[in-house]
Amino acid sequence: MKKKNNPVKILILTVVSFVYLIPIFVMVLGSFKTKGEAVRFDLSLPEKFQWANYEYVIENGHVITGYMNSILITTATTLIVLIFGALAGIYVGRRKGKLVDTVYNYFILGLTVSLQLATTFALLKSLNIYGTRLGVILINAGMQMPFTVMTFSSFIKGIPSEIDEAAIIDGCGSLKLIFWVLLPVMKPIMVTNLIVTAINTWNNFMVPLFYLDSAEKWPIPLMVYNFFGRYARNWNYVFVMLVITILPIVILYLCLQKYIVEGMTSGSVKG
Amino acid sequence: MSKKAIKMSAQHKTYPFWLSIPALSVYTIFVIVPIGMSLVLSFTDWNIRRWDDPKFAGLQAFKEVIKDPDFGRAVFNTFLFAVLTTILKIGLGLILALVLYKSFKANSIFRTIFYLPCVLSMTVIGVLFTSILAKNGLLNNILNLLGLTTWQREWLGQYTTSMAWVIIIESWMWAGFNMFIFISGLQAIPRDYYEAASTEGASSWKQFTKITLPLLVPAITVNATMNIAGGMKVFDIIYILMKGGQSTDTQVLSTYAFKSFSVGYLGESSAASIILTVLVILVSFLLNYFFRKREVEV
Repeated sequence: MKKKNNPVKILILTVVSFVYLIPIFVMVLGSFKTKGEAVRFDLSLPEKFQWANYEYVIENGHVITGYMNSILITTATTLIVLIFGALAGIYVGRRKGKLVDTVYNYFILGLTVSLQLATTFALLKSLNIYGTRLGVILINAGMQMPFTVMTFSSFIKGIPSEIDEAAIIDGCGSLKLIFWVLLPVMKPIMVTNLIVTAINTWNNFMVPLFYLDSAEKWPIPLMVYNFFGRYARNWNYVFVMLVITILPIVILYLCLQKYIVEGMTSGSVKG
Repeated sequence: MSKKAIKMSAQHKTYPFWLSIPALSVYTIFVIVPIGMSLVLSFTDWNIRRWDDPKFAGLQAFKEVIKDPDFGRAVFNTFLFAVLTTILKIGLGLILALVLYKSFKANSIFRTIFYLPCVLSMTVIGVLFTSILAKNGLLNNILNLLGLTTWQREWLGQYTTSMAWVIIIESWMWAGFNMFIFISGLQAIPRDYYEAASTEGASSWKQFTKITLPLLVPAITVNATMNIAGGMKVFDIIYILMKGGQSTDTQVLSTYAFKSFSVGYLGESSAASIILTVLVILVSFLLNYFFRKREVEV
């Protein structure tokens, strides 16, 4: 009954795919070229694979520092968002009443707001956390919170409250109920929010650009941008920097693709 | 006590208000407070020299901003960028989804490729594209190979082409995301609608306009709202491709706020941020309202 994919379609799609893949090819090939070869920006193979480029960039590009900062900022932001968001989501999803509606709408308000550059700067200064990773973590977490609370609460509403009642009859307290009964049931939406928050935070450029003033605290996107500024003539090195930056993400994406795609899209559909 | 009242009080005890306090505090302090401060401080003469001592100045910051021709340009560019990227992302996403929504092996490979840019950082994409669009970059090289030397130009050197390219890159990046939203919309449409239409002799175009499109309105709503809000808030791609947002003619609202901030005009920067926030809320609300009215039940 089902028709096979038609070859003309495959051909056209393959051509379109090249629009996506060529930039990647240019980058990967370029990263193995000499300076002179790399600035020709073409799809030729390097004369000789210059592995030394990688050594040079890892030594001089502050890649490790960037990675450590990115991992720290992303992990902390994600933990805050997941734990705080889940607790608030449970409250909003399980209780009814005026106060709950107010809290919910108050969070929803934040879905569309944009970063207030100058006053956020003033706020961080007055809290004495300007230029710290903590400041960046808290801003990221705050901006991600509305989406998380919304998705958690709508998920919780879909879970029958009988399981809570059964647990309460068995003598579960609030916290025990939340951590032993509800959180395990919420695993799918946890994964969604984990992915969305982690990717958003990992790729965020604005917040650290505005609020981190010293290079040793920069996450990887800022390291890349700064490296590009310093080595604008050495495209081979810049390409290496780009490859190093996206390699772990691409590997993760290829392995966890199903979860990532489902997470990112299902998350937004529920919005 | 009635049964309902017992249940309410059990809920009250089991899910106390304090559960929401951690999230509420982080969100309030780091998102809501800065907005409140912007609202207040944009009506003062706050600047880097009057850091601790802003004086009420009425609408002066707004007047200052609105008088500034760069601001007008920024508003224009913001809307141009947001509207064109929204149309392109939805158009491309829809075409890709229609071609790829059936689950063939080959289709899933293509979907993987088209979605890939969505997980990458805009910084990487931006730097990568400066190499493609440079004077001696890949694009000009390809044009050279094709014998189209008259088409070569310094793509990021003038307003029209650089604006066109940031719009293309942004759409290229997020078309795959829109595609997946449309695919999940398409998969939700019951097959028998089409079978019934076929037996009654409806052409495939007619099926598309009478069945597919109306039932895809919810997916279009999601995509349009997200695209327009994201497009209006654009910062990274402009900042990176336009060398730190130095040139004034490709400025958008976020880069405008950044520029006034970095020269110390904090009141003007806050005014620009607030204007952007209000515009985004307004536009997403209107768009949502417009599309929600057109949604039909499956």
